[in-house]
Formats: sequence, C-alpha cells, structure tokens
Amino acid sequence: MKKVKVLVLRTAGTNCDYETQSAFELCGATVERVHINTLIEKKDKIFEYDILAFPGGFSYGDDIASGKILSNEIKNKLGDEVKKYALSGRPIIGICNGFQVLVKVGLLPSPELFKQISTLSYNDSDKFECRWVYLKVEKKIKNESNCIWTRNLPDIVSLPVAHGEGKFIPGNEKFLDELNKNNQIVLRYSLRDGSEPEYPLAPNGSVEQIAGICNGKGNIFGLMPHPERYVFTLQHPAKEGFDSKYGWGKVIFKNAVDFV
Amino acid sequence: MFEIEILTKKDFKDSRGERVLSDICGLGVTNVTKAEYSQLYVVDGDINLSETEMIASELLVDKVTESYIIRKCCAEYCSEVILKSSDAKENDRLNSNFSVIEVWYKKGVTDTVSESVVKAVEDLGIVKEIKVKTGYKYYLYGKISRTILLNTIATKLLANTLIQECKVHCLADKKA
Repeated sequence: MKKVKVLVLRTAGTNCDYETQSAFELCGATVERVHINTLIEKKDKIFEYDILAFPGGFSYGDDIASGKILSNEIKNKLGDEVKKYALSGRPIIGICNGFQVLVKVGLLPSPELFKQISTLSYNDSDKFECRWVYLKVEKKIKNESNCIWTRNLPDIVSLPVAHGEGKFIPGNEKFLDELNKNNQIVLRYSLRDGSEPEYPLAPNGSVEQIAGICNGKGNIFGLMPHPERYVFTLQHPAKEGFDSKYGWGKVIFKNAVDFV
Repeated sequence: MFEIEILTKKDFKDSRGERVLSDICGLGVTNVTKAEYSQLYVVDGDINLSETEMIASELLVDKVTESYIIRKCCAEYCSEVILKSSDAKENDRLNSNFSVIEVWYKKGVTDTVSESVVKAVEDLGIVKEIKVKTGYKYYLYGKISRTILLNTIATKLLANTLIQECKVHCLADKKA
C-alpha cells in the first residue's frame, strides 16, 4: 500500500518541525522536512505530497509580527501553488506559528478568498503564555463540521499552548457569524467541565474563546495549541490519554493520514 | 527617507500600552493616566511614497487591528506632517495632549528586525537597495516632568541604555 507523504515546511526560526514529523510518522506516514527555499526553487514539488504541515516556532524571529514574514514570502513566491494545493482538498494543518501563517496568508478561514480577513494578535496579557489548557470540541461541531482533523476527539481535550500572539480576532461581526454558522470554529478554550474559562485557562483573550478553526470544506485546520506535544500519554502532566500509551494529539494527525 | 508608524486601532486592545502603564505605576509614577504603544520603521534609500505605502499596507500593518501613518524624514528629523495614513479617523488622537518617548537602537548596534524587513521588502517585489531602522514610540498622557520621563520612565523601564537611546518630547516643555 502506498504510504501517505507529508511535507513539513520549515524556515529560519521554525522549531517544532521534528515533533510534527515524529507525530505523523507515528501515524504511519512518510515525512519530509523541506526548507521554503527548496520549495521556491522547485514549486511543483508541493504536489508530490498528500498532506502539508506548517509547524510551530518563531519563523524569522517573529519580526514585524508572528508569521508575518513567512506568510508574505509564501503569498508572493508560492501563492499560486499553495492556493491550488489547498483548493484540491488535500489536508493542511497549521500549528501555532503555522496557524498564524495560514491566517495571514489567507488560507483560513477561506482559501477561495485567499485574503487575510482575521488575525492572531498579541495576548491580552502582553506576555508569552505557556501551559496546558482544556479545549472544547462541541458535539454539534463534531457531528456537523466538515473538519477532517478533529473527528473522534472527546468533548474536552487537554493540549499545551505556548505563544505570545494567539488572540484570534475576526475582521468583523459578519465573518464571525459565518464561522459560527458554517461550524468552522472547531476548538474553543474551556474549563474541564466545558464551561467558559478565565485567564489563565483562557490564555490570550481570543474572541469567543476560539483556539482552532477550519475552512468550510474542512481540509485546512489551524490551531494555537500544540497537538504534536501530546502524542504519548507520558507527555501529559497527569499521564492521561485515550489508552495506556497514546495522547489525544495523535488522533488529530491520524485523522488526516486515514483521510488520505 | 520615510517613517512608517504602526498603531493599534482605537477599537482594539493595546496590550503593550496597558502593560507599560502598569509598569510605570510599579515605578511609583502615578500621574500617567494612559499609555499607547506604536512601532516605528524608518526606510531609507531609492524609494518613493507609493512603494513605501505598499510596504506599510502589505507588510508592516495588520489590516484587522492596526493602522499606519507615513511621514517624510530628513537625516535626524521626522516631519510631523502626515503624508499618508490608512485611516484618517485614527489620526485624531495624535492631536491630543501627551508626552512621547521614542526608543531607538544606538548606532553600531545590530537591528535584527530591520534585516528581516529588508528581506521581506524584497519578497514583496521591491528590489531596491534600502536601509531600515526600527524603533518604538510610547505616548504617555498626564502631567509628567521631563526629568521623570527621561530619568525614570525612559531609562529605568523602556530602554536598555547600553544599546538603546531615547528621544523625549515632553508636553510640559511644549506648553512652556
């Protein structure tokens, strides 16, 4: 059987590429970490892969704003290819800095629009926030959202966050209504019982506690928490997981590999 | 030479400004009533206003939460006259009463953000030899003396005086 091929795109300052590679490999995929300059030299190489991952880190030192320089580079040098890839329905994930890139390139919330209509801004605390948080995956969302990445997750999951600019802000009320109407808000910060959290479990002041969104088709997924840091039960502070060995983060990667 | 200033739009939280205000209170200075923060970029080279506007609008500003202002600069002086801005409504507050502290790197200190901006400008398709200098600007509201601004707020809180220098514009001086 053909192995699923994953491209983990890296650049100066990316630092979660190895963990992302490891998470996909754990799910049976073949993974290549490719530097953006290599991809720019041979743009069509992107279509050799079944899944595209934008890992976390501090691309270009978070200069100007997190993900801004990488998104500018992608848009101006790989824009056509990345848009075509996204519209082909292949899975794309952006984790933390990768989520910031997806939003600033304009792949989220709508690759058809391919324009930045929302943002991830400075945390309300103006500090780097790093801790485990609870996330709500609403039943309605799981049943009605097209998101291929969040299937089979329980109602509440725990994942670690580590960011300085994670406050999700939609461009206007209309976009927010559309995100809600189309079930594109797939993860929200919550308390363990599902109720609304306050700081520090609401780490950044995101509008409506948004932690992760997908596009309408459900193949593109961006989230601020790090699922690649919770693929083994041992990585959780309370050693929780969906069986004795694996953490809930693994389910997210497995969903995409199974989808392909 | 142009100066681009990036400000948080009125309707959005200026978390850096709020943190600075809290830190100023922590220093025992209680007569600052509000603080606002902005980022400064001075772009020097063979570059015109429309290219500068493209750099501001496509690269430096977050269109959702921020606005920009472009001013003409000479060697050591930036004009108060606004050449371009993304949102004229946002300029109103610049007529309010405040003191200003600008923080810049000293000559000879590596400005890593400026190197990233030069690379990103090339990515935008503007292939010209340019130099970029970056800094921060803090608008401080309230009755504050030049001594407090310079000796306490600027040097104890906002700048690392080993590598950075401050320009202070004191409201009390202007009124005098």
